[in-house]
Amino acid sequence: MSTINPVVSLLVFFSLTILLYYVFRPTKGIYFLLKKNYKSKTKTIIEDILKLLYHNQVSNKNLTTNDLTDKLNYNNQLLIESISKMIENELIYMENDSFRLTELGNEYALQIVRAHRLWEKFLSEKTGFDKKEWHERAERKEHELSVDETNKLSELLGDPKYDPHGDPIPTKTGKVAPKKGVSLSELSVGAVGRIIHIEDEPEIIYKQILAEKIHLDSQIRVVENNRMRVVFHSEGEKFVLAPVVAGNITVLVLENQAVSEENIMRLSSLQENEVAKIIGLSKECRGENRRRLLDLGFVRGAIVEVDLRNPLKDPTAFLIKGTSIALRENQASKILIKKE
Amino acid sequence: MEKQTKSACETCSHYNAEGLKKLGVNTESFDFVVALAGNPNTGKSTVFNALTGLRQHTGNWPGKTVARAEGAFEYNAQKYKLVDLPGTYSLLSTSEDEEVARDFILFGKPTLTVIVVDASRLERNLNLVLQILEITDHAILCLNLMDEAKRNHIEVDARILAKDLGIPVVATSARFKEGIPELLKTISDLANRKITCKPHKIKNIPKNIEKAVEELSTSIKKEYPTIANSRWLAFRLLEGDKQVIEGLRTGKFV
Amino acid sequence: MSTKNIEHIIELSKDLRWQIGDDFHDVLSESIYAEASKIVESSVKKDDQKRRFRIDAQIDKIVTSKVWGFPIMLLLLGVVLWLTIIGANYPSSMLASLLLDMIHPMLKNGANFLDFPWWLSGFLIDGVYLAVAWVIAVMLPPMAIFFPLFTLLEDFGYLPRVAFNMDALFKKSGAHGKQALTMSMGFGCNAAGVVATRIIDSPRERLIAIITNNFSLCNGRWPTQILLATIFIGAVVPESYSSLASLSAVIGIAVLGIFFMFFFSWALSKTVLKGEVSTFNLELPPYRPPVFWKTIYTSLIDRTLIVLWRAIVFAAPAGAVIWLICNIYIGSESIAAWLVHSLDGFGFLLGLNGVVLLAYIVAIPANEIVIPTILMLTVMVVGIGGGAGAGVMFELDSVTATGDVLKAGGWTLLTAVNVMLFSLLHNPCSTTIYTIYKETKSKKWTTIASILPVIAGFVVTFLVAQVWRIFS
Repeated sequence: MSTINPVVSLLVFFSLTILLYYVFRPTKGIYFLLKKNYKSKTKTIIEDILKLLYHNQVSNKNLTTNDLTDKLNYNNQLLIESISKMIENELIYMENDSFRLTELGNEYALQIVRAHRLWEKFLSEKTGFDKKEWHERAERKEHELSVDETNKLSELLGDPKYDPHGDPIPTKTGKVAPKKGVSLSELSVGAVGRIIHIEDEPEIIYKQILAEKIHLDSQIRVVENNRMRVVFHSEGEKFVLAPVVAGNITVLVLENQAVSEENIMRLSSLQENEVAKIIGLSKECRGENRRRLLDLGFVRGAIVEVDLRNPLKDPTAFLIKGTSIALRENQASKILIKKE
Repeated sequence: MEKQTKSACETCSHYNAEGLKKLGVNTESFDFVVALAGNPNTGKSTVFNALTGLRQHTGNWPGKTVARAEGAFEYNAQKYKLVDLPGTYSLLSTSEDEEVARDFILFGKPTLTVIVVDASRLERNLNLVLQILEITDHAILCLNLMDEAKRNHIEVDARILAKDLGIPVVATSARFKEGIPELLKTISDLANRKITCKPHKIKNIPKNIEKAVEELSTSIKKEYPTIANSRWLAFRLLEGDKQVIEGLRTGKFV
Repeated sequence: MSTKNIEHIIELSKDLRWQIGDDFHDVLSESIYAEASKIVESSVKKDDQKRRFRIDAQIDKIVTSKVWGFPIMLLLLGVVLWLTIIGANYPSSMLASLLLDMIHPMLKNGANFLDFPWWLSGFLIDGVYLAVAWVIAVMLPPMAIFFPLFTLLEDFGYLPRVAFNMDALFKKSGAHGKQALTMSMGFGCNAAGVVATRIIDSPRERLIAIITNNFSLCNGRWPTQILLATIFIGAVVPESYSSLASLSAVIGIAVLGIFFMFFFSWALSKTVLKGEVSTFNLELPPYRPPVFWKTIYTSLIDRTLIVLWRAIVFAAPAGAVIWLICNIYIGSESIAAWLVHSLDGFGFLLGLNGVVLLAYIVAIPANEIVIPTILMLTVMVVGIGGGAGAGVMFELDSVTATGDVLKAGGWTLLTAVNVMLFSLLHNPCSTTIYTIYKETKSKKWTTIASILPVIAGFVVTFLVAQVWRIFS
């Protein structure tokens, strides 16, 4: 039997591994790029342009051809072709060098937005994908869902009104609930409000918000706001954000100071020998996880205390309705309590 | 809740057998089918073993019996088939165990359901009991682990509990075979309909939801006049339970 | 009744659902619990407000304490494994002498007496019977010791505390703390470990536990590890250290398995399984003294015998196949010899040989018959004396004799190390594969669970072989 030089075989092995890695690595691999390119036909481009125009029209910004080529990551040639096709099909029209949506274009754009937000809702309720992935996955899925499929999806989810970031989902007939609230960075010191929306774009900022563990629907009170930083209290914790980051959080100001519930805190901060009453579950606790916690008795009004601390800190066992149930820190932080 | 009048067909054993057969239960040569439900870790399988003499393994674990276990026993010359359902905390979510347990009580329509609860954790266990009582009218509460409750200085008044829940309550310590004869007798009495149940229904639901439930359940009853658990079906419909919707369409409940 | 009215009800439910809003489930759960509290208020009297029973709390304080939690855990696992491996030796050798040394010749004589043709008695007695006998002799005693011990700990209520203690480690690799237990169960038998994953009610974590269970070195593989470590690894160090060296090698392999379990749990949760729903909850039930004899009895019936039965069902045809490939000739070579030669090249690349690879292919049904098959094939291929005939699996009484046969078959220290690695990292036995399919009901996950460890095994043995050759 012939012997094979070990160095040669190792070299062959590693070059094969590297080759496979470059071909198949997630999102940047050649295989995925090819797949994406193959798919990103005119339909995707058109839909992306429509969406961009829609979002800018909502915030009253005008877009020129240059803006489009800047903001969309497509080959310029393809973009120009798509634009002329869209004008031809009466989806958009030109007005003072910038593009506007026609009635038809607006309808189409709303359908894409609806598909996108419903898919995010689906991912948050029925799958285990991480928050960070929802947006990107919905960006791809929105082009694949037909109107019929979108409606079925909506039905499956019980026709939800808001997506998991707090954005309104357009209805079948194209109605959109108006956006409310102001940016967190614009609030003055002492203002009390409730977080109603966390923007998921751009990704860098969104990841920072997620890392801070700021929860949607939580009540906040601003204690400091200047050019350097925005500081606020929420659910018994203190948060410090850069103004740019705070700018991506929308808050509904609560005029009535009396509703302020300063002594609400998270179950994760309960200490041994303290007793607390559960106020409710945070909106951030979703899907199967939420139902499980409710089944286990983590419902409003239940009395809870720490039963056992873990030698490795996480999880913690809580005594609730006569039984010791262990929860991880990220679950306990989504259960709101008030100390007795 | 108004009381339904039962047709002769609905109470005869053949009627039950049809539904059960669909769920893969061999009902031949049995007079009655008894379902055993309860939270995990309430000694449900111990009760099962005490009743049937089978030695099914019972771990000190939540959720041990995933598949259905079946056994049989005879009492006063009548044959009973006992089906041990997976232990669940609730019937409202969508896990596999819960579906098995729910489908059996809902579609299988066993003669009666024995609900095993841990006497020292009654409040937690009642969550499931109240849900089961929404589905079925024929149930017995088996107040198990009385020995443990005593150790923990917890006293449960079975009489008051029976009155509040509207079903027979039997206190047992299945490990020591205490209370099993009483349980057998109660099963036999209820199976032969010598006693009647008037199960407690969930009352304090917020007004707007109660209204919706009422509206739905009325229209279900209009369609299926003999249905006993229209309210529970309404709950499920409001949650968008795919299986219940499908069941309604195919008439699985009738 | 017309379906139209049903559709009307469903439409109505959709409208009402929209009106009520998203929190119907929350409100319903709250209402039911509130009602339960009310009922309890009137019927339950508590003496000692809420506090859990004191002895329970005391035990919990100790078994989850920073100082004692982990030592107690490791000690208990160590004792259970030690009792299993050492304790199983005696009944195993008794069963082996009964089934292999006594009954096997008796059957052969009986077949001769009844004038069976050679191929029929070979097929039935040397093939089917021998494989089954081997599996029973090697598998039954350790399982009959391991499972009852494990079950006693389980019934007492200690195991959920282990899951509680270990959860932080498993969380890092995207798994559930309860996987610590299914993994430990896997040290007894992977098929039983896979069944035990039922205690994990989160879909993603359960799949992770199922797919990675094979990285727990099971009962069928411990003897292989111990035998090879004694022959080859014990020999490279001075004699006074040899048992220490071989012991560390075996433990090292088991620990390596745990490392791979964590690694693949992490990799799976980050890739193919990331979309599966993931939840966490862990109830710490009160301690309950186990009913000793009943526990022993039920664990034997429920776990040991069921797993043993499945193993026998799969081992019997494997025995037949092994006998057939050794006794059917194509030209001048038996199928087995031909297969061994064609697998030799690939085997060399992995630091193994054709015999080992063929043994692992035909011994898919049960890891227990790998060593007997290797010995039989080696004797056949090399053509030395000492075997029991073509297609007849055997084991030698003395470790030295086994070593001599293997060395005659061209085995070096590298071969032994790589066989030990490959024994850890290869496809699950067919009993386990079948169990995985029954538990997941999915061809996809069964395939992944079967192929993933083999690929890992190929890569690891390949790398070890090449690096070894460069430095020697």
